[in-house]
Amino acid sequence: MAESLDAWFKREILGHEAALLRYLMRVWPRKHEVDDLRQETYARVYQAARNLRPTSPRAFLFTTAHHLITDRVRRERIVSIEAVGDLEALDVSVDEITTEQRVSARQELKRLAQALDRLPPRCRTVIWLRRVEGLSQKEVAERLGVSVKAIEQQVSKGGRLLAQYMLGGEAANGNTGQVSRSSEDECEHGKP
Amino acid sequence: MSTESLKSVDQVAGDWLAQRDAGQWTENDQARLDRWLDESPLNRVAYLRLEYVWERSQRLRALGTGTRSNDPPPPGAWLFSPFFEQHPGQDVTAQEADAGARTTRRHGARHRVGMALAASVVLATVLGAIWGLWPQATAYSTPVGGIASVPLADGSKVTLNTNSQIRVAVTERERRIELEHGEAYFEVARDPKRPFVVRAGDKRIIAVGTSFSVRRNGDDVDVTVTEGRVRLEGTPTVRIQQGNRSREPAPEVLSAGTVARASDEGVLLESRPITEAQESLSWREGVLVFHDMTLADAAAEFNRYNVRKIVIDDPRAAAFHVAGSFRADNVDAFLRLLERGYPIRVEEQDDRFVLMGR
Repeated sequence: MAESLDAWFKREILGHEAALLRYLMRVWPRKHEVDDLRQETYARVYQAARNLRPTSPRAFLFTTAHHLITDRVRRERIVSIEAVGDLEALDVSVDEITTEQRVSARQELKRLAQALDRLPPRCRTVIWLRRVEGLSQKEVAERLGVSVKAIEQQVSKGGRLLAQYMLGGEAANGNTGQVSRSSEDECEHGKP
Repeated sequence: MSTESLKSVDQVAGDWLAQRDAGQWTENDQARLDRWLDESPLNRVAYLRLEYVWERSQRLRALGTGTRSNDPPPPGAWLFSPFFEQHPGQDVTAQEADAGARTTRRHGARHRVGMALAASVVLATVLGAIWGLWPQATAYSTPVGGIASVPLADGSKVTLNTNSQIRVAVTERERRIELEHGEAYFEVARDPKRPFVVRAGDKRIIAVGTSFSVRRNGDDVDVTVTEGRVRLEGTPTVRIQQGNRSREPAPEVLSAGTVARASDEGVLLESRPITEAQESLSWREGVLVFHDMTLADAAAEFNRYNVRKIVIDDPRAAAFHVAGSFRADNVDAFLRLLERGYPIRVEEQDDRFVLMGR
């Protein structure tokens, strides 16, 4: 049960991240909190789906985000005109689901390759050897003459950056730069 | 909750992912991870999100297929890798295609007799005329060791295996693919108004909305259906020679899980579990899967993907049975395992690997 819920979550929810980010960016005035809100939304969706899986996952995701924003607006007494306006006009059309989820294998590979290219050089080399060449972390460490621990760190950062670039789409390029910058620094720190 | 705390959750999730990826993952590690995941749904969704992308990033392997160098190429270089190779129609014009189609067809027809010959010439003429009307067919090809995925204008998708070439013309009435040589997997977007027709020599495979692969080896054509149904035409079946009045060869309808081997002698049909049929298409991920295959056949498979060929110089060795899954371009690993598990010696020569008994 738990595992199939995980699988459901990956399949039905995570594919909408770019759209979710676009929405949150539009309605939330403090851009640096958007990643935070995204994760909070995911957590609420996951919890709710434990009991009952929504029939329209995308609609449910956006409704959840909507409620979260409403709560925050009330609690923090911030008034964002966009937020209030958009809460009314929240449009979760079904059409967009299909276009966004049906990414062809070629498109997906292209996006992955582009995400890979955006990694800092050292990180990219490690992820390339691990993911493209199929070497184990240990083999990557031997090839590059660094410790296994250093490779593990690069995989950790590389995995996070890939997720950000892959799922976030264009929305992840600008305002979530804070996460990306710090991650890149960490990546470079892993340098031998 | 501050961004700081979120970052740390994301970071911890990344560390778990990396640690699990490092191998030597014990039950104890899993128990610790499970505890952390159960602590908070925030932990869990952070981990699932990273795991999801990490799993999908397995596809990146395709970029390495056919790559010879050990160092990662510079950013953007993958665009020029075999995987994304594309020749816009200039190298094969419709005219040449027309001529080529006729020549091949006449040549193929020579072996046949009577009515079959007549029928095939008629068919050739008709098809030749249609080919002439093609608005700039676009050609796509892969070199030895390459795999390419080609999106079509109608939403369908073609994945080309090693050393393969197709020409594509999508019009308002029809979707036509000519498989010049090699193998391709088709994921056909549903569109009842525009039949999706794959021609491989004188065989035609017709689909409405389905997934299937076609592999061409001269006049022999293998069709594997993984979803829906397709119609196989243009195979001179026994029925014709027994005096069937129909001028057209009787069509064969193939359903999911069917593997059809069509040669000039007729069609051999084989039903397989769909998962097995799909497995035979694992080349799309750059992987070859063998189930109890003779070494001779396995070597022939590898040779499709690699310039440096495996030659078996010992009939006894050729008859050994092998099983396993291998990266198509990693001949070294395959040969190493052979040497370890079988009484076989591998001799490296300039352009090939020679296998001998020990």
